[in-house]
Amino acid sequence: MTDYISRYSKAGRIFIPRLFQGFPEIKEALISNRMQAGFMVAPMAIALRSQGVPIRIVYLGHRYGSAVVVRKDGPINDVPDLRGRTIAIPSRFSDERLIVFRVLKKYGIKPSELKMVEMAPADVAGALAAGAIDAFSMGEPFPSQAEMVGFGRVLFHARQHWPDYISCVLVVREDMIQRRPDAVQILVDGIARSGLWLDDGRPNREHAADFVARYYYNQDPRLLRWALTNPLDRVIYTRLSPLRADFDLIRDLMIETGVLDRKIEFEDYTNVEFAEGARHKKPWSYSPGSNSAE
Amino acid sequence: MNRSKKIVLTVLVWLGGISVLHSALNLDWGVILNDRLPESQRKFNVAFIPVT
Repeated sequence: MTDYISRYSKAGRIFIPRLFQGFPEIKEALISNRMQAGFMVAPMAIALRSQGVPIRIVYLGHRYGSAVVVRKDGPINDVPDLRGRTIAIPSRFSDERLIVFRVLKKYGIKPSELKMVEMAPADVAGALAAGAIDAFSMGEPFPSQAEMVGFGRVLFHARQHWPDYISCVLVVREDMIQRRPDAVQILVDGIARSGLWLDDGRPNREHAADFVARYYYNQDPRLLRWALTNPLDRVIYTRLSPLRADFDLIRDLMIETGVLDRKIEFEDYTNVEFAEGARHKKPWSYSPGSNSAE
Repeated sequence: MNRSKKIVLTVLVWLGGISVLHSALNLDWGVILNDRLPESQRKFNVAFIPVT
């Protein structure tokens, strides 16, 4: 969305968005410097930094927007019904996995009582419809897809059990931060302004669903429209500065669930100066379909 | 023009046409050319997946 709008801005376009189908591929592209920045799940970014990969989390992609989905007419009606079932997650290093652990703990269920499988996000809806899995924990628009098509039902949204839940974060390679801080700031500013523009109301969300689905996601615009408006705060795009409390919680859950072997401090894997720089930004002044943005 | 020359010419024209169509429809020249620019002039690549 930021790219689409910034095409028409006076500042011009200084980055190229590149579509991937899974987080492991993004990880490899960042390590090899084929990508200088990328959106990935927060635990993966923390784990990579902990392993010495030269990246920093500079901003969030959104808040909320993940859910656990089960078959609409299936036998799972509450969290305890997940016992003995198979649930798909996007990665071991994902908030979608952590939210499942968090909820299981709340209900006194041991993680060993269900089976978790890693699956590319694009594959989960088909797997659920075909009965290959019993549930999935995934970011939008896949919960919406299951609801909209009619074979799935949201068991719970992540925010119901994890206030201020975050999933995807923007990471940037450290050499990029050192060499082109101006470019990183323009990108973060653009995301901040896009988020404010999106959260300005339903018409902007509907227009965004249309052009993002058509030009970036190659998905049915009705699907993104569902994800962005049903209800309007299903995913939110403001309050995107990285906060220590959010990340300490994620880090501690990672340690507790065995995907991080040591405590890593917030300052060691984030750089908040760009978020600070974007703090007072205003929403894009952009009307969908127009050829100018300010 | 004999028969074998006609066949060779047809194959070459067909290959050329398919190659031009492929490079126009399937390759992102903006990305390819950007990757060949000096690092200081390059736009930077931002990875995303179609998930919120």
